Amino acid sequence: MHATVRSVVEVVADGPQDVCILDTEASPEHLSRGTARHADTMLTVVEPYFKSMETARRMAALGQDLGLKRVALVANKIRDDSERAAIEEFGETHGLELAGVVPYDERLPEAERARAAPLDYAPDGPAVTAIRELAQKLTA
Amino acid sequence: MPPSRASSQATSLRGVKLAIAGKGGSGKTSISGTLARVLARSGRNVLAIDGDSNPNLALTLGLPPGDMNDVPTLTRDLLRRSPGRDELTKSLEEICATHSVEAPDGVTLLVMANPQHAGTG
Repeated sequence: MHATVRSVVEVVADGPQDVCILDTEASPEHLSRGTARHADTMLTVVEPYFKSMETARRMAALGQDLGLKRVALVANKIRDDSERAAIEEFGETHGLELAGVVPYDERLPEAERARAAPLDYAPDGPAVTAIRELAQKLTA
Repeated sequence: MPPSRASSQATSLRGVKLAIAGKGGSGKTSISGTLARVLARSGRNVLAIDGDSNPNLALTLGLPPGDMNDVPTLTRDLLRRSPGRDELTKSLEEICATHSVEAPDGVTLLVMANPQHAGTG
């Protein structure tokens, strides 16, 4: 079904929607099947610890190999300035733009337990606020 | 391939195509779903696609848990595969009409695979 998703993303401009958001596979091995090939921007979500950054680096490289116009990082679950600095340094080291920083928000795991959308459960929390800013930036 | 209708519609406001990647547990689905809802609220017509074989975008978009089993998935007959060139057998509008579900704020959701198909938890 990866091929179908790939083709759907390719023809999005022919359909009624003006924005397409593809939530991709969680593993680089699957991502390499190219479902994201026809996206124009890949955002790689990264947490401030080594394994997450290592995976993000591999995924970002795959995005670049697919020829995407823009491959950027979004830092997530950031608790303080030192975590933010770690992601900034990681981005600089690998030449990756940091498109957004989403703070840690304890209400998000709560939302998941409550089986509710973050936007409905914690609409004014720091995470949703940061994602709102990211959305504006991406479509400006 | 039909002559590109896309080109005439491809203004700067059309065709924002975002792929969200990340390790399992990184929060990529929370970010995907929230971006989709926020953009829909700001007046965009948003197509959200769950391309993960362990799908949970529906929940993050705010579809009621009881509706999850009714979410249709993309089927094999929608794609005609040939060497070097895959082609959808229906228009995207037709695919959305039969295979999508509407999430809150009017987000159109397409799901690649069933949760049962998932390999990892």
